[in-house]
Amino acid sequence: MAAAPLREQLSALLSSMFSQGLVDEQFEQLQMLQDEGGTPGFVAEVVTLFCDDAERIIAEIATLLEQPIVSFDKVDAFVHQLKGSSASVGAQKVKFTCMQFRQFCQEKSRDGCLMALAVVRNEFYDLRNKFQTMLQLEQQIQAYDPKQQ
Amino acid sequence: MAPAEEVGGEFPVGMKVLVVDDDPTCLAVLKRMLLECRYDATTCSQATKALTMLRENRRGFDVIISDVHMPDMDGFRLLELVGLEMDLPVIMMSADSRTDIVMKGIKHGACDYLIKPVRMEELKNIWQHVVRKKFNENKEHEYSGSLDDTDRTRPTNNDNEYASSANDGADGSWKSQKKKRDKDEDDGELESGDPSSTSKKPRVVWSVELHQQFVNAVNHLGIDKAVPKKILELMNVPGLTRENVASHLQKFRLYLKRIAQHHAGIANPFCPPGSSAKVGSLGGLDLQALAASGQIPPQALAALQDELLGRPTNNLVLPGRDQSALRLAAVKGNKPHGEREIAFGQPIYKCQSNAYAAFPQSSPTIGGMPSFSAWPNNKLGMADSTGTLGSMSNSQNSNIVLHELQQQPDAMLSGTLHSLDVKPSGIVMPSQSLNTFSASEGLSPNQNPLMLPSQSSSFLVAMPPSMKHEPVLANSQPSTSLLDGIDLVNQASTSQPLINTHGGNLPALVNRSSNVIPSQGISTFQTANNPYLVSQNSMGVGSKQQPGVLKTENSDSLSHSYGYIGGSAPMDSGLLISQSKNTQFGLLQSQDGLTGSWSPLQNVDNYGNTIGLSHPGSSSSSFQSSNVALGKLPDQGRGKNHGFVGKGTCISSRFAVDEIESPTNNLSHGIGSSGDIMSPDFFGFSGQM
Repeated sequence: MAAAPLREQLSALLSSMFSQGLVDEQFEQLQMLQDEGGTPGFVAEVVTLFCDDAERIIAEIATLLEQPIVSFDKVDAFVHQLKGSSASVGAQKVKFTCMQFRQFCQEKSRDGCLMALAVVRNEFYDLRNKFQTMLQLEQQIQAYDPKQQ
Repeated sequence: MAPAEEVGGEFPVGMKVLVVDDDPTCLAVLKRMLLECRYDATTCSQATKALTMLRENRRGFDVIISDVHMPDMDGFRLLELVGLEMDLPVIMMSADSRTDIVMKGIKHGACDYLIKPVRMEELKNIWQHVVRKKFNENKEHEYSGSLDDTDRTRPTNNDNEYASSANDGADGSWKSQKKKRDKDEDDGELESGDPSSTSKKPRVVWSVELHQQFVNAVNHLGIDKAVPKKILELMNVPGLTRENVASHLQKFRLYLKRIAQHHAGIANPFCPPGSSAKVGSLGGLDLQALAASGQIPPQALAALQDELLGRPTNNLVLPGRDQSALRLAAVKGNKPHGEREIAFGQPIYKCQSNAYAAFPQSSPTIGGMPSFSAWPNNKLGMADSTGTLGSMSNSQNSNIVLHELQQQPDAMLSGTLHSLDVKPSGIVMPSQSLNTFSASEGLSPNQNPLMLPSQSSSFLVAMPPSMKHEPVLANSQPSTSLLDGIDLVNQASTSQPLINTHGGNLPALVNRSSNVIPSQGISTFQTANNPYLVSQNSMGVGSKQQPGVLKTENSDSLSHSYGYIGGSAPMDSGLLISQSKNTQFGLLQSQDGLTGSWSPLQNVDNYGNTIGLSHPGSSSSSFQSSNVALGKLPDQGRGKNHGFVGKGTCISSRFAVDEIESPTNNLSHGIGSSGDIMSPDFFGFSGQM
C-alpha cells in the first residue's frame, strides 16, 4: 500500500523522537488517547496549540530580556508557563531546558537567561520541525488510507 | 448533565468537572483525558469567567481543577472563593512542584495538588474528592433529615446538590443532598428526625440566611469564643449538626484571615482619611476595617471598635478605625474587592459602631460598633458610592445583589450614617452588611438586613427592617440621622451587635439596625468569608434581643454582614443577604416600646421586617424612634420592609419617609433621603415600608 513507506517513515520518526528524549511518556499517552479513544486529530490539535503558544512565549521572553532592566519575575513566569505547556504535551527536552532556564531567572542573570533562551529556542524549533513532519506524514497516510491508520 | 450517578448509574461517570487554566495546551489535554475518564469536562481559561460560571450554576459542577498561576486571578484565590462560596472540592494543578507551593495549596483548602503533566491515573481518581466531601457533609447531618432510600431517587439532586439557594431555608439545602451520597450506604444511618423530611443528609448549603445566622452567632459569642457547639445552639437551626458548623467555622476563620490580609493591603480607597463625611470617612474606615478584619485579631478588632466608640467621631470615619467599620467600609464596596471576602460582614459591624461612635451620642456602649460609621460613610458602596454594597455585590453576585441592594442601601446608610454623626448607621449597617454580604456572597449585601424581604431567610428573618432603613440612610448619607436611626436599631437589637450598637446615640436607630447586625462580635468575622458573615445578624435577631441593648458588638456582625459586599467579594450575596437580614433585625430589636425597650429585633421576618422598631413614635429619643423604625420593620406586615429593599438601596426613601420621627437626630436618613433614618419609621417599617 502506498501508505506503507509513509507509515514506516512516521514510525521511525516517532522512535527517534522518543529515543532522543524529545518527547516522553506523556506524549505517548496523548497518542494513546487519540488512537484508542477514537479522537483522530487530537494529537495534531494539541501539538499545534503547544507550538503556537510556545512561540508566543519565547517571543515575549526575548522582548523582556532586551529591556534595559530585566524583570526576572516576569521572565520566570513565562518560563514557568512554557514549562507547564511542554510538560502537558510531553515535550521533554523543552521542559528540561525550561527548568534550567528558571535557575538563571532566580539568579537574576541576564546572560544566563539569554543563553538559556537560546537553548530553549533551539530545542523548541527542533521539536516543532519534527512535529510538523509527523503531522504531514499523518495527513499523507490518511489520504491514502482514510481510516485513521 | 445528569449527576454522575444518573448516567448509567455508574459513578463517577458523568461527574462534572470544571478545569481552569490559562494554558491552552494543558486545557486541551486535560479535557481529553477527562473525557476519557468519562467525566463531563468543561474548560475555562480565565478564573474570573470560571467564577461567574460557578456562581450562576452552583450545582453545575462537582469538582474544580485549577491551575495555580493564572494571569487574571491567583489560583489560590479562586480556590478560596470556590470553597467559601460554593463549597466544592478544588484540585490545584501546576508545573511547580515545590513543596512550599504545594503546602500553600493544601492550606488554602485544596483537596489535592497535581503536578503537571497530569496523568490519566491521577485524573481517574479525582472522584474520590467529590465523594469524600459529600460523605463528610452528610455525616455532619446526622441529625438532619434521614436519608431515605426514597430520597436517593430524588430527582432534583443534581440540581440541588450544591444547593446554594440563598433563599432556601435550611431545609432546602439539606434536601439537596447529593445524589452521590445516595450511593453511599450511609444513607441509612442518617436517618434522624430531622425536620427536613426525608431529606437525606444532604450537604448543608450555607445559604445567605444560614450563613448570616452563623455569623450572628459567632459575633455574639465573639470570634474567640465561638465554638461550634455554642454556635450551633445559638443558631438553633434544626438539622444542622455541630460538624457542619465546625467545618463552616473553619472556613470562615480562614476567610477572615484572608480578608484581613487582603485588606491590609488595601489602602482605604474609600475614604479619604478624615473625610468626615460619610463616605469619605467610612471609606477609610472600611479599608481599615477591612484590613483590620483580616488581620486584626478579634481582640484587636474589639479594641478598634472601642476606640471608635470612644473617639469622637469626627467623621465617623472610625475613630479608631473600627475594625468593623473598616471592614465594613472595605467591604462595602469601597474596596471593590473582587472577592467577597470582605463581605464577610465584618465591615458592617464596624461601620455601625462607627456610626455610633461618631455620634456623640452614640454611646460607647454600642458595642463599639465603631466601624459602622466608618462604614456607612464609605457608603459602603451602597448608598453612595456606587451602591457598592449593592453594587458590589452586584458585580459580584449580581443576582443577589439586587436583593441586597435593597438592603444595601441600608448598609450604606449605615455607613454613611456614621459620618453623619448620628448616622443611623446602626441601621444602615445591616444593610451594609448586606452589602458586604452580597459582595462577597453575591448576596448583595444590599439586602439590608432589614429589608431583605426576599430573603426569606428563615434565619435571618430577624433582619430588622430597620436595617433596611439604614441603608437608605446611608444612601443619603450624610444624614447622620441615619445613624441615629440606626442606633436605634442597634440598640434595639439588643443582642445584635448589629450595627446599631453604634454609639447608640443614633436615635436614628438607624444604627439600631446595626444591632441587628450580628453584633455578635462578629467583627472578627468580618474578615472571614462573607458568606459567613451574612448570618451574623441572624444571630442577633433571633437571639436575645436585649432591649435596648444595642449591642454594638453586633456591629461586627453587621459588618459581617458581609457588607463586604461592596468589595465585590465573591461572597455570594446569598450569604450576605442572610446576613444582612439578620442584622437588620438585630437592629430593630430594639425597642419595643420605643421608649427604650427594644423589642427584640427579630421582628424582622424578612429580614427587615421585623425590625420592627415599631416604636417609632414614641421614641422620645430618636434612638428609639429609630429603633422603632428599625425594629419595626413592620414586619412582617410591613412587608414593606421589603419595601426598603426594593427601594433599591436607597432606603432613604424609606427613611425619608419616615420622617424619622426621631426627633433627635436626624437620623436623617441621610441615607437616601436626608431624612433621618432615625425615625422608626424611617425604616418605613413603621408602617411605611
